[in-house]
Amino acid sequence: MADKSAVAAQNSLQLIAFSIGEQTYGVEITTVREIRAWNGATPLPNTREFVRGVINLRGTIVPIFDLRARFGDGQTSPTKNHVVVVMSVGDKWVGILVDAVSDILTVSKDDIHNVPEGNSIDTELLNGIVTHESRMVGLIDLHAVVSGAKLDG
Amino acid sequence: MSDLDDFKATYFDECSELLTEMEEQFAAIEAGERDADRLNAVFRAIHSVKGGAGAFGFSALVGFAHAYETLLDYVRDGRVEMTDDVVTLCIRANDIVADYVKAAQTGEALPADYGQEEKERFDALARGERADDDEGGEPMEEFDLEFVPVMVNIGGGEDAPDDAGFDLGDFGGVADELANSNDDLAEDAFDAPPLEAVPGQWEIHFTPHTALYARANDPLLLFRELAVLGEMQVRPVLTAMPSLAEFEPFAVYCSWEITLISESLTEAMIREVFEFVEGDCDIAVAQVGAAGAPEASAGVASATAKPAIEAEPDTSDLLALADDEVSDLLDFNLDTDVVAPPVAAAKAEVAVATPHADAIIKPAEDDTFEEAPGLSFAELAASIVPSPVAKPKPVVAAAPPKPAAPAASSDGEDHGSKASVGVQSIRVDLDKVDRVVNMVGELVITQSMLTQQMDETLRARYTELVRGLEVLAQTTRGLQDSVMAIRAQPVKSVFSRMPRLVRELATKTGKKIKLETIGENTEIDKTIIEQLSDPLTHMIRNSADHGLESVEKRLAIGKSDTGTIRLSAEQAGGNILIIVEDDGAGINRERVLQVARDKGIVAPDVNPTDEQIDQLIFAPGFSTASEVSDLSGRGVGMDVVLSNIKKIGGSVHVRSSTGKGTRMTLRLPLTLAVLDVMLVKVGVSPYVVPLSSIVETIQCSRASFERVPSGGQVLQVRGEYVQVIDLAKRFDLQNETESDNRFVVLCEAEGSAKVALIVDDIIGQQQVVIKSLEENFERVDGIAGGTILGDGNVALIVDVQGLKTTIVHKNAA
Repeated sequence: MADKSAVAAQNSLQLIAFSIGEQTYGVEITTVREIRAWNGATPLPNTREFVRGVINLRGTIVPIFDLRARFGDGQTSPTKNHVVVVMSVGDKWVGILVDAVSDILTVSKDDIHNVPEGNSIDTELLNGIVTHESRMVGLIDLHAVVSGAKLDG
Repeated sequence: MSDLDDFKATYFDECSELLTEMEEQFAAIEAGERDADRLNAVFRAIHSVKGGAGAFGFSALVGFAHAYETLLDYVRDGRVEMTDDVVTLCIRANDIVADYVKAAQTGEALPADYGQEEKERFDALARGERADDDEGGEPMEEFDLEFVPVMVNIGGGEDAPDDAGFDLGDFGGVADELANSNDDLAEDAFDAPPLEAVPGQWEIHFTPHTALYARANDPLLLFRELAVLGEMQVRPVLTAMPSLAEFEPFAVYCSWEITLISESLTEAMIREVFEFVEGDCDIAVAQVGAAGAPEASAGVASATAKPAIEAEPDTSDLLALADDEVSDLLDFNLDTDVVAPPVAAAKAEVAVATPHADAIIKPAEDDTFEEAPGLSFAELAASIVPSPVAKPKPVVAAAPPKPAAPAASSDGEDHGSKASVGVQSIRVDLDKVDRVVNMVGELVITQSMLTQQMDETLRARYTELVRGLEVLAQTTRGLQDSVMAIRAQPVKSVFSRMPRLVRELATKTGKKIKLETIGENTEIDKTIIEQLSDPLTHMIRNSADHGLESVEKRLAIGKSDTGTIRLSAEQAGGNILIIVEDDGAGINRERVLQVARDKGIVAPDVNPTDEQIDQLIFAPGFSTASEVSDLSGRGVGMDVVLSNIKKIGGSVHVRSSTGKGTRMTLRLPLTLAVLDVMLVKVGVSPYVVPLSSIVETIQCSRASFERVPSGGQVLQVRGEYVQVIDLAKRFDLQNETESDNRFVVLCEAEGSAKVALIVDDIIGQQQVVIKSLEENFERVDGIAGGTILGDGNVALIVDVQGLKTTIVHKNAA
């Protein structure tokens, strides 16, 4: 078990893949704490539109970021079927709101490419792009996603 | 070595208590209460600090504390008079001891001669010179301690190696300070001339027991004290030394013979040196030539005294110490109190077994440890502190037998003395208490959730259940209060650090400053206390630097030459108010506003009130170093104060009156965990407003609003005009409530200014547990934090003070 993961860790990544509309994005599985159904959030004043608010995660207050809005495509209109992926960024926990979690992917580190120049918001928010079974998966840079959340910031 | 770390932590805890006590006692002594009890309390405190320091090998601290203790002892005896100069010197000495303790704690080194000047003055005083005499006598360090080396035959035939010579100079620490002890060693002890019998010559036989070392006493320090009395020779007596095979690393085999020569010497003076180790050693004192004088033996462990150890010394017993035990021993870093029995030089390191260490390694075959099972080693070391640990048997190491001072201070009156020893207490790890606090917090939430579930129909049907819930509510309340009381501590522990700060500031600024402290027994949560030190330091520094005027200026405007800073604490409802007040010049509002406008903190078309201008000194980025010089300097670090205080859920307010002074008020929550709030709705979102800041609530239809020229609204309440903040607008939330059905929540922000918050609905009162937003997000303006409601949803806590201040800071957009 440990051997396998050690070998895997050397050259491959495991990703949790989720979708926003037609797009697929991924985050490293080790950063994911849990996946929850959307159940509303308390809006936070004076924050940018992609901050959907805060939720109670077993006694801790966790902010929720709307990934669609973060990519500039307007706010998600969430339903009970939408999903919040709770992840750790540094020593903080954050949730990101996505349409659905699709898969767990194992990709080789060698297959990760830089984000092509052009779309500035993509280059800003993605660490790289990897092709998996003819699907293009954008690797989310969480630190970038959660930055600049306050209106005045 | 986590055990040792624990002991150390306990020791440092105790040190800070002891230092606080010393500071307090001297504050009283300075005020003229010069009674023996106070002196004894200080004396005991410094002795305890020294004892623990000895156990952990903080040699510099031991050295200084010892000199200080000696002086205090002389003062107690009345040999040195407690003049104002001496009091000042002692207060300074307390500061130095505090620095040494801090250095020991943080591991940073102080300059080698730190406190040297004071040490020399102690010595000068002890030798009967006046305190104000700058030319102190020789410092104790430079006494000519003459060690006579002794050869130990370890079976290597006639020519034993030199380094097997017993050489006290090897024992580092204090011994190193005796700069000459190594160099002056006579080459050959056997040729030491016999001492002539001189009148005033005394012979002392000193045989320490294991307990002496266990209590962190050091013969070397005793000898040093003896050396002050006259010309001295010390000779070790090693006749008790067993063969290496029988050698017990923790036993004491070395005793000493001391010859002391001085015209004015009396037996009492000699005995007094050993006062603290009485009972832990055998002492024989006799005047040479007097009847029953001991034979001055050469004190040489000659080859005849013991069977010679075989050429191949059997060190297996020594080496049988498990490796880690050895390293533990060496970890000890005990460089002062090691008096190593001479063992084969190659193994000397291992043999440097400190008697104290056996408290950790194994229970010694020694009464002290037998009788006090479970006693921590730190307590043994500092055993005369009435330390709050349940002891099977109090171990009092060295209670001075002379003054009838009980081991705990007998003065029960409330003038800052420790509680009497009758109070049983335990030390509990704060984490454990925190766990209980959190559980109780969750319990409170659950209880209020249950209460919320009971609607009228249920209440009517299940009266028993309702009664049960009421009892539960009461019990939960009581439980919460009790838990909070456990964490509460008097603010004294922070306040007591301030006199020193003020002394230093007075010296630095050349001003005359008097510090008054009031209400230092006010209790407040420990975590809050820990956060208080920095802000208070900043505020007091600010008052001293910029608030108070120079002596000349004060005299010129008809004030007394001494400026006063008053530091007070009081409980006001659910809050603690901590007030720093000075009688200085006040805030220069024109300059403050000018700078704020220049920096864009205040929009050019906004005209803040005087009160709002005063608050500007806390605005982030208001003042930077370059502006300090051309401003009155207010504002340096004050934004730090504000952010620190906000972090613990408090607020800061400043009021200044030109020419009369400035008053800064910290309003702090009693506890960090729980808050009484009013639950309101803004739009569809639940918000909570701290009950402590609410004055009253009014239905909007009954409130009288007025328009002001700038387009805003004000509310008229009992002849006062109050600024109105519509929370829905402010928080950018949809609201669909008819304006007449909305409510005004009139809040009193810090100080006197009120503010009217408009909310859509009022739901009720409850207690909530405060949760931080910053833990996973960041600070949000106008929001003081969050809380989890009974239904599991998050409600945000309105930061009333923050809402008000951002009005001024926000550019009129």
